[in-house]
Amino acid sequence: MKKRGFWPNLLKFSQEFISKPQGRVGLFMLAIFLFVALAAPIITKYDPIDDLYLAESMAKPAWVRVFPDNRNLPVTVHAKLGLHSWKTNSQFNLKSDEEIGENGFSFEVSPEKQTELLYQFRFESDPPGTFNFETQYLVKAPEDNTTTLALLMISPNGKEWPLWKKTIYGSEDETELLIDSRQMNLKFQLGLTMFDEVSQKVFQEKGNYKIVLRASTDGEPAMISFIPVAVNIQGKLHGVLGADHMGGDLWSQLVYGTRISLLIGIVAALISVFIGTAIGIASGYIGGFVDEFFMRLADVMLSIPSMPVLIILSALMGKSIWNVVILISLFSWTSTARIVRSQTLTLKERSFVEAARASGASKSYTMVVHILPNVIPLVFASLVLLIPGAILLEATLSFLGLGDPTTPTWGRMLHNARSFGAFTSGSWNWILPPGLAITFLSLSFVFIGNTLDDILNPRNRERS
Amino acid sequence: MIGSLKAIWAKVAKLRGDLQVNFGSYILRRVIYALIVLFVIITVNFFIFRVMPGDPVKMIIDPKMKPEVREALYEQYGLKKPMSEQYFLYLKNLLTLNLGLSFTTSRPIMDELLERLPNTLKLLGIALILEILIGVSVGIFAASKRGSAVETFVTSAGLFTHAVPGFFFQLILLLLFGFLIPIFPIRGTMSAPPPVGAWAQLLDRIHHLILPVFSLVIINFGYWALYTRNAMVEALGQDYIVTARAKGLSKKTVLRHHAFRSILPPIITIIFLSLPGIISGAVVTETIFSWFGVGRYLLDAVLKQDYPAAQGAFYFIALLTIISNFVADIVYGLVDPRIRVGGGEGK
Repeated sequence: MKKRGFWPNLLKFSQEFISKPQGRVGLFMLAIFLFVALAAPIITKYDPIDDLYLAESMAKPAWVRVFPDNRNLPVTVHAKLGLHSWKTNSQFNLKSDEEIGENGFSFEVSPEKQTELLYQFRFESDPPGTFNFETQYLVKAPEDNTTTLALLMISPNGKEWPLWKKTIYGSEDETELLIDSRQMNLKFQLGLTMFDEVSQKVFQEKGNYKIVLRASTDGEPAMISFIPVAVNIQGKLHGVLGADHMGGDLWSQLVYGTRISLLIGIVAALISVFIGTAIGIASGYIGGFVDEFFMRLADVMLSIPSMPVLIILSALMGKSIWNVVILISLFSWTSTARIVRSQTLTLKERSFVEAARASGASKSYTMVVHILPNVIPLVFASLVLLIPGAILLEATLSFLGLGDPTTPTWGRMLHNARSFGAFTSGSWNWILPPGLAITFLSLSFVFIGNTLDDILNPRNRERS
Repeated sequence: MIGSLKAIWAKVAKLRGDLQVNFGSYILRRVIYALIVLFVIITVNFFIFRVMPGDPVKMIIDPKMKPEVREALYEQYGLKKPMSEQYFLYLKNLLTLNLGLSFTTSRPIMDELLERLPNTLKLLGIALILEILIGVSVGIFAASKRGSAVETFVTSAGLFTHAVPGFFFQLILLLLFGFLIPIFPIRGTMSAPPPVGAWAQLLDRIHHLILPVFSLVIINFGYWALYTRNAMVEALGQDYIVTARAKGLSKKTVLRHHAFRSILPPIITIIFLSLPGIISGAVVTETIFSWFGVGRYLLDAVLKQDYPAAQGAFYFIALLTIISNFVADIVYGLVDPRIRVGGGEGK
């Protein structure tokens, strides 16, 4: 190989890479996955782990409304009503209030005017199964004040549904508020029997609904603070991909899963290539006992069934993605070590290495300065080819229920799908996306790796 | 699922080097090697369950057990003795295949494993035979018709093997042919209760086998096809093939008697060398199809925290792997033509 400088070489390399269809397709697919991984918080607004009960269990995707059978199924409404969501009468101003919590807001109430916050939304389908409101509030008022807070819903025909009302004497510390349509006392409060479903009654009509937050006080003005009011109407249709058994958003799980898969694949491959390169150079260059030891070790690794070992170890070491990464890397360094070793053996006899040795360079210096740069191209291809293996292995472990339960991965989605009846109910929207994502991500690395191997591996170059 | 091609080639090269000595010392070397691997596995198995955080006694002795049973187990594992003595006792127990009792069923683990072994062997054996028959013939066909649609098919099948998660493909098959078009049973090795009559029982077992076997064949045959095709293409480029063709032999004869013969030894070796990977894959396949086999036993034991059972199943699987590796080495020595000539010529 003639030395032509780094940049011209790189240019020639990229031209060659782009000229191969496999390389182009692989890069394109990888670019999409990278974009999804980086832009995850923009692409989806839900948290894949913490946001539960967003929709009814195993809700279908929202876009199946295009089919006539599904036209009237309720779609999830999930909103956080903060500072800018409310319409207010001009008598008072909403202020930002971070003291009570993130994006909190506060307002002042005085005896002269009952104040009212209003939020309007459209609801145009059959009634949902349940709905709920969740927030926290805080009242600061003189001790002899009586403050009244109320939350109500107004139907399109003007009927008022008083969902919550509270009278507060003096101040009140931060208090959690949860209104659930299934609560028994709510039914009685609305004048319904215990066999009625609140959601069926409230959402009888189609049209513009209003949520109203009312506050009034006597005596001195009072300060009232809220964190954004979470409104959650659990639909039978939800989001891009529907919901899992806990009403979690599948689309956000898929999107955030991209991050984990990429991270695990790349980190595991990097570690194993690092170990493999070090061992390969050492055994190729030093030879003798070192060589014999490492190559025997590699032989032993090859004859140990990796999946059972991984299962045992991941059960013993605890369920964490980093354990999975370490375990995967420990089992996949052997192929890199072999490739690097054989390349090192030929490099060792080359004149520039001999010249270095003759001029008194130490073994370690020669290995790092002369051998390493010359095996890097080879290592690069095997790095990329190791990634899909690591991704598949991680997915398999998670699928078997040995993954980290607090991390959203594609394997875990499939594990849940299998454990919680996606197959008996034929929930294709839960099963297909993660599997296809794993397939295409692996495929993109296989394509890129094959192309790199074609270009960089001297064995292939001689043949053509 | 199956170890990488390059690693296997390297192993074949290594074996060739060893073979240059002579067959007797070759076998001796392989025996020593197998024993070393066995020793490593036993030692690792001993230590991972004791070094890991947590009380090792709790891992081996079920807290719910009666005191007298517990005493007997303490005695059996020698858990009150020093570590070194424990290790030798453990070594003795494993070498005599005394794997202890399961927490969950309180039966000897060895009995449970032996009960399941035939099922695993049946599933993996039938799948492996079909995979190889289909894969090798498709590979040879592709090599004989360079640039044809068959060759593209083989390349894509190889890609499929590398990129599609096997468990996902199996899930989809299950969804399609177990639920949507329910023509195959979705779980188990046989119906419960089993049908009356030997003939009906056999048919029932075959009915349960079809879907898992079919899935394994589809997932893995591309690997064999691609390997065979590459080896064949390389063999067909050799001088002696050109000579044979020049002599006037038909293309068919050359393909069958010259090229295929020359790739047979590495193919036979690779079949045996792929066994660890195939046994590994059994865990996943058996779990998905609820197959009553050794692999699912291991996973169930791990998930139920039945440590003696997990340890025993792991040892059992490792033993299977070592035996198959050893057989592979011996078979390789037998099929390598240079051995019959007298050996020692090297390249």
